[in-house]
Amino acid sequence: MQHNNFKVTPLPRICLISNGEADADQGKVLLAQLNLLPETLPCMVQIREKRLEARELFNLAERARAIKLPAGSLLLCNDRLDIALAAGLDGVHLPENACPADKLRTFAPNLIFGCSIHSLEALHIAERSGADYLLFGPVFDTPSKRRYGASQGLHKLGEICMATSLPVYALGGIIPDNAALCMEEGAYGAAGLSVFQDTARLVETLEQFYSIICQ
Amino acid sequence: MIPSSPFLCVITDEAFCPITLAEEALKGGAAMIQLRHKTASGSQLYSWAVEIRKRCRQYNALCIINDRVDIALACDADGVHLGQDDLPAAAARKLLGNKRIIGISASCAEEALQAEKDGADYIGFGHIYPTISKQKEHAPLGPDNLQKSVESISLPVIAIGGINAENAPLLISRGASAVAVISAVSRAKEPSKAAYELLCAIKTGRQ
Repeated sequence: MQHNNFKVTPLPRICLISNGEADADQGKVLLAQLNLLPETLPCMVQIREKRLEARELFNLAERARAIKLPAGSLLLCNDRLDIALAAGLDGVHLPENACPADKLRTFAPNLIFGCSIHSLEALHIAERSGADYLLFGPVFDTPSKRRYGASQGLHKLGEICMATSLPVYALGGIIPDNAALCMEEGAYGAAGLSVFQDTARLVETLEQFYSIICQ
Repeated sequence: MIPSSPFLCVITDEAFCPITLAEEALKGGAAMIQLRHKTASGSQLYSWAVEIRKRCRQYNALCIINDRVDIALACDADGVHLGQDDLPAAAARKLLGNKRIIGISASCAEEALQAEKDGADYIGFGHIYPTISKQKEHAPLGPDNLQKSVESISLPVIAIGGINAENAPLLISRGASAVAVISAVSRAKEPSKAAYELLCAIKTGRQ
C-alpha cells in the first residue's frame, strides 16, 4: 500500500487519465498502460470510466490495484470515494460537480483528494475543502474536452498557479512540446488522456514529458 | 432499525424533485425513503441527500441512498440500497460498518440467499408486477416467487415493481415486510394521499 506516501514523497509530475472507454475495451488499454509504466517514472493514474456501472468499476479498480506500479505512483478513482476505498486505491479525484471533498475526507483521512477546477472561484472552494492537488483545464484545445467549452489558455493557467500553493496539473491538449510552457506558468505537472493512448509510444512519451518537466 | 411491522418505502422518481417527493411520501406515512438518481452529479446527490435525510429524521423514517456508498456516508444516511451491478455488499459493509443498513436487489431466491450471506439487512425483491419505472430484463416474478424468497431467507423482504394499493395487501400477506413504489406515489395527483392509501392497504394485508 502506498497510502500517505505523498506526505513524505512528492506527488508524481505526470497524471495519466484513463480513456473512458473501459465499457468497450474491458479496461484493456488502462491495464496495458499500467503494465507499461517504466520503473523510474512514477505516475499518478486516474481511473475515469463514467460509463461503467459501480460493480464493473470496482472490478477494474481491483485489477488495476493488483499491478505493481513504479515507486511513488498513485492510483486514483474519479468521482467515487467508495470505489477508491473498497478497491484500496490511493485517492479520489473529484470533478467540480462532485460531492464536496470536506464531506468525504472524514471517511478517508489517509487518501489523496484531487479536485478539478475551471475557475478561480472553484479554486478557492477546492482549497477550503482540503484538496491535496488541483487539475486545471482545458489549457489547450483538445477533442476530448471540447464539449466542456473553449480552452482557457496559458495565461489563465498562470493566474491559477499564482493564486494557490497547491500543486496544479495542467490538463487539455498537453503534449511534450508544450509542457514547458505550462511549467513556466507555474504548473506542477501535466495531465492527459489522449497523449497516453498509444501504448506503443507510451514509454517514449513519458520519457519526453519527464525530461521537459523535471529538468 | 428496519420497522418490524409492514411499512411503505418510497423511491424517488428522476422526473420529479426528490426533496418534494420525499416530503410528500413522509407526510403520507412512508417509513423509508430511497434516493435513487442514476444520472445526477455527486454534488447534486449530496445536497438532495442532506435535505431528505433531515426530513426523514423529522418523521422518524429511514433515509437510504441508492448505489452511492460515499454519498450515504457523507450525508449520514441510514443506509444504502445496492443493485446487482453496484458495489458488492461485502465491500460496502466494510465502508459502512454494522450500524448502517444495506439493502440488496434480488430477482430470484438465489440472489436473495447470496445477499443474506453477504451481510445484507434487507432484500428488495422484484419486480413483482409489470412496471413502467424501470427497464426490465425478466418477466414479472409474481406473489408466488415473492413468498418463496421470503421463506428461503430470514431477512426482511421488500416487494417492488408495479405495486399499488390494490395489490399491496396480498404481497404483505405473502410475507413481504414492506412494499416499495416509485410511480404509484410520484405519478399520483396527490402523492402524499397516494402514499397514505398505500400504507392503509399495507395494514389491511397484515395477518
